[in-house]
Amino acid sequence: MIDFYHVTKRFDRYSIALHDVTFHADKGEFVFLTGPSGAGKSTILKLILRQLLPSEGQIVVNGRNLATLKRAQLPLFRREIGMVFQDFKLIERMTIFENLSFVMTVLGVPPRDHKKKAYAVLRAVNLHHRLNAYPPQLSGGEQQRVAIARALINDPYLIIADEPTGNLDPDLSADVMQIFIEANLRGSTVLLATHDREMIRRTGRRVVHLEKGRVGEERPQQAPEVPDSPSTFMQWGSL
Amino acid sequence: MAGARRRRDATPDAGERPLGVYGYFVHEALRRLWVYRRTSMVAVGMIAIALLTLGTFLLISGNLNRAVDRWQGRSQLSVFLDRDATPAQIAGVREFLTREPSLAKFEFVSREAAYEKFKRHFAQLAPVLAELEQNPFPPSFEVQVTSRDAASAPFTTLLARLRVVDGVDDVQLDWEWVARLRRIANVLSIVGLVAGGILAVAAAFTIANVIRLTMFLYREEIDIMRLVGAKETTIRGPFLLEGFFQGMCGGLLAVGMLYGIFRGARALATGPSSALLWDFLFSEFLPWPTSLALVAGGILAGLFGSWISLRESSEESAG
Repeated sequence: MIDFYHVTKRFDRYSIALHDVTFHADKGEFVFLTGPSGAGKSTILKLILRQLLPSEGQIVVNGRNLATLKRAQLPLFRREIGMVFQDFKLIERMTIFENLSFVMTVLGVPPRDHKKKAYAVLRAVNLHHRLNAYPPQLSGGEQQRVAIARALINDPYLIIADEPTGNLDPDLSADVMQIFIEANLRGSTVLLATHDREMIRRTGRRVVHLEKGRVGEERPQQAPEVPDSPSTFMQWGSL
Repeated sequence: MAGARRRRDATPDAGERPLGVYGYFVHEALRRLWVYRRTSMVAVGMIAIALLTLGTFLLISGNLNRAVDRWQGRSQLSVFLDRDATPAQIAGVREFLTREPSLAKFEFVSREAAYEKFKRHFAQLAPVLAELEQNPFPPSFEVQVTSRDAASAPFTTLLARLRVVDGVDDVQLDWEWVARLRRIANVLSIVGLVAGGILAVAAAFTIANVIRLTMFLYREEIDIMRLVGAKETTIRGPFLLEGFFQGMCGGLLAVGMLYGIFRGARALATGPSSALLWDFLFSEFLPWPTSLALVAGGILAGLFGSWISLRESSEESAG
């Protein structure tokens, strides 16, 4: 699903964000990308979305070599990836429904399907009753759930998230993590950048550890404290 | 406060009616024009000033050209006779004119008729005329000549022969004046095109800056659109349409203002001499294809301005 082969990313002569990074994530896998601030986590996510191109090495996502991806193919490639950000990136002047409808519009989803799809994804994140609210009227956790709903709207095969719980307290983080795990259980590959060690420990998924732009030791999958089931995840969240 | 502003910025039915891509283009372009209406008004004003300048020159030169066409169609040769020309001399000139096919359409104007004609055309000067002890006007023949004849070389020879006919004092052909006016009209058109063109380019760059500013304000939405896989045409569509609307509004405003000036100028024409001048410069409004071309020019300037700013805004340059 995701293959990095000896990827180096230099921004200038003295600023090397990634150095000879090689890692792999299987289809349907849930992988944490971790490391201290400035380790290169966000750079990896930007490379996967092809917001950046590597200085050296090759990146293959879902069988596509990103170096050979033409600019015109980029929108279609990105439509298959759901992206979630730490700062939610919701449009504040739009209601929750409008935020989702806006994305569906630019993706070319017929307008008659907008309400149905918006309701379905918001139901999945348990926010179907807040369709007409504006983002600032929601809590941080709710806003992040809307952002995840937006990422899920096109049924992506890959979800990448950049510190999605970075602005949330532990309880809200658990809610958000539950949604990622549910999406993963439905078949989406999830690559989640975080430095929340407690979250990683409890979730017990594979970790790719970055340190100063290099991949450190890949920790083997630990037995999760929580079973891989959405229904029991909530119990874990309330611990 | 912030919530109220958000609601004011959002159109009332945006949440109720999901939009297709083209509906989104129009909705967003109009919404941005409204939200940033002060900035948009600057762009629209610039376009309007540019097109108003061009339109004014076109209006005046067009009317000048029309007047020239009218005169050119019936170019006149005035054959002034000696004030005390005898009936025999007058008959001799009449015979000369009748013999020449290019001079055959003529009318004799006696001294009395010339006096009356002057009084009619220049009523304001009637008191001056009344103070004169005798009629100062000579008898004359007014000959209608075609512009083709007037421009030919043999015609010049013919005029030379006419000048030496017994009883002829002077021969004046208004053709030279017509040609001079035509040149002035053409120069006015060129000046209008150059001045209007320069202003239109300046207006296009103003629109480019307005669009650039809007893009800056919407950079987060643009980032989101790119990340969710929106095509560049979808991202750029509303901005292009915004320039289109600004240009169109500028064009319509310019045509409207020009029509106002035209009507005002005609209403100002009161005295006979000013009426003559105003009639000369403002006899007719721009033909509708020219008015439409002005609006189209505004639209092109708007699109050009948008295109300039969008060209600089590829994902790579945005970082």
